[in-house]
Amino acid sequence: MTDKIEREFLGFGLGLRTKHFEYILQHQPDIDWFEILSENYMVAGGKPRYYLQAISEQYPLVMHGVSLSIGSADPLDMDYLRALKTLANDVEPKWISDHICWTGIHGINSHDLLPLPYTMETVRHVAERISRVQDFLGRQILMENVSSYLSYQDSEMDEWTFVSEVAKASDSLILLDINNVYVSARNHGFEPMDYLNRIDPARVQQFHLAGHSDYGDYVIDTHDHDVPDSVWDLYRQALVRFGAVSTMIERDANIPEFPVLEAELGIARDIATQVLSPNQLSIADLARNRGVKSCLA
Amino acid sequence: MPGLKYTQNTVMQYLLQPDAGARESLAELVVDQGNVSLETRMGIYANAYRIRLKEVIETDHEQLCFYLGDELFERMADEFIAASPSQNRSLRGFCEPLPEFLAEDEFFSQYPILADIARFERRLLTAFDAADTNREEFAALAALPPEQWPAVCLRFHPSVQLFRCASNAVETWQALKQGLEVPGADYSGWRYWLIWRGRSRLTEFISLQPWQLVLVEAVIAGENFAGLCELMLDFFDESQAPAQVFESLKAWFEMGLIRSLVVSD
Ligand SMILES: [Fe+2]
Repeated sequence: MTDKIEREFLGFGLGLRTKHFEYILQHQPDIDWFEILSENYMVAGGKPRYYLQAISEQYPLVMHGVSLSIGSADPLDMDYLRALKTLANDVEPKWISDHICWTGIHGINSHDLLPLPYTMETVRHVAERISRVQDFLGRQILMENVSSYLSYQDSEMDEWTFVSEVAKASDSLILLDINNVYVSARNHGFEPMDYLNRIDPARVQQFHLAGHSDYGDYVIDTHDHDVPDSVWDLYRQALVRFGAVSTMIERDANIPEFPVLEAELGIARDIATQVLSPNQLSIADLARNRGVKSCLA
Repeated sequence: MPGLKYTQNTVMQYLLQPDAGARESLAELVVDQGNVSLETRMGIYANAYRIRLKEVIETDHEQLCFYLGDELFERMADEFIAASPSQNRSLRGFCEPLPEFLAEDEFFSQYPILADIARFERRLLTAFDAADTNREEFAALAALPPEQWPAVCLRFHPSVQLFRCASNAVETWQALKQGLEVPGADYSGWRYWLIWRGRSRLTEFISLQPWQLVLVEAVIAGENFAGLCELMLDFFDESQAPAQVFESLKAWFEMGLIRSLVVSD
């Protein structure tokens, strides 16, 4: 079933972090692509933009945002969208993503990815806004499932139904965060595979992997640890269900040296090699232009 | 059903001020899922909100935080976070009102150097991600025919900024940064600094003498070379003034401060 899906497979990527800028330029590590945090580059110039430019000449990039606040009852922030579009014009990312959540209300920003009530009212609200964002950007976007610690009484459906309905109603794609599925499953007591089995493979364009902090009764999505076995196991099952999906590891705190993350990404690669055929894992010869000398030089 | 707006308002009120009333209002909207208490579930969000904002203060105002020490940092962070909810879509802007908070807060305003250090750190951040432009070389000025010199105006690189304060905030910042002994607060007079991002993309700064301040301000105001020389007559005699201007401009080119030169009509 997964064979029929025509999805662009970028291979195995990492989040681009300031700390690794210099290393990446010097060593040109064998990473298939990088994900950038859009907001970090919405500045006029300076170091981040300089490195972004240099790295974008050698690696495919995708843009990942945290400020769209797609589920907020506030109006869409058009200044933000304009800045996003401007950045996208500069970066030419493979795709753009953000989160199915809200981050603020009445102009006040929590800077957190807060959960939404899973109601039809919210599905309509979120889907309508995603459609407007897609129209504005002139492209389909990816929306990511967030991890959560509480549920609202007025929720009418499971999270996976909500995520699926939003994607369908807005004709958007899904960035499936495997760690977030695991974290929410633990916090709300559902089976993570129940979640994955209800997500339409045709909608899934990217995976996130990350570590978390396990407090026994609950789990917090901290992105400051290695990817644990529980998440690797779920990743393995996700590959079985979804096939080859561009995969990256998110590390936002307690960030190790680059080779450590590179080795961790090797685990993802190994698991995918065990689960999928070489054919499925072949990366289109897209922008793997590392080391290619310009003919004009 | 409470509706999206009401739900979001209730969550936000709780994050901003997790007191008993806000907790109760939120608890009414949230499912009691047994194994983990509502208190814990809601608390995860309230904690995360504060931790995240504290980290921004620590990152953007590292030396200020060292200067304050742990206890006063906690006090400042708690009070600033409560007084100044983020209205910025980027965390980068969260501490924008911090200098003003420090200058106006009853307790912290007793130590004016705090607001000065915070202001200085904000200027460094502004210089850090200011726009990139070309930088002009001194050769471009030297190549102009002498009769055009009086009419030459300079344009600074977008990262160039002036910083003035009535304390030894910058000297204190430097001592903290280098791990040296921190001087006592000194409010004996005005001090002037020039901040910019150099060619290597490092943020740099130098102190300015009063005459250099006048020169920088005049360039920003669009004064031409002849005008600059005239202004320098307040500080130097007629035979020295043009040479002073010339030497300053030459140094500025070398420091990467000059974006372009324009010959006015
Ligand atoms: Fe994620």
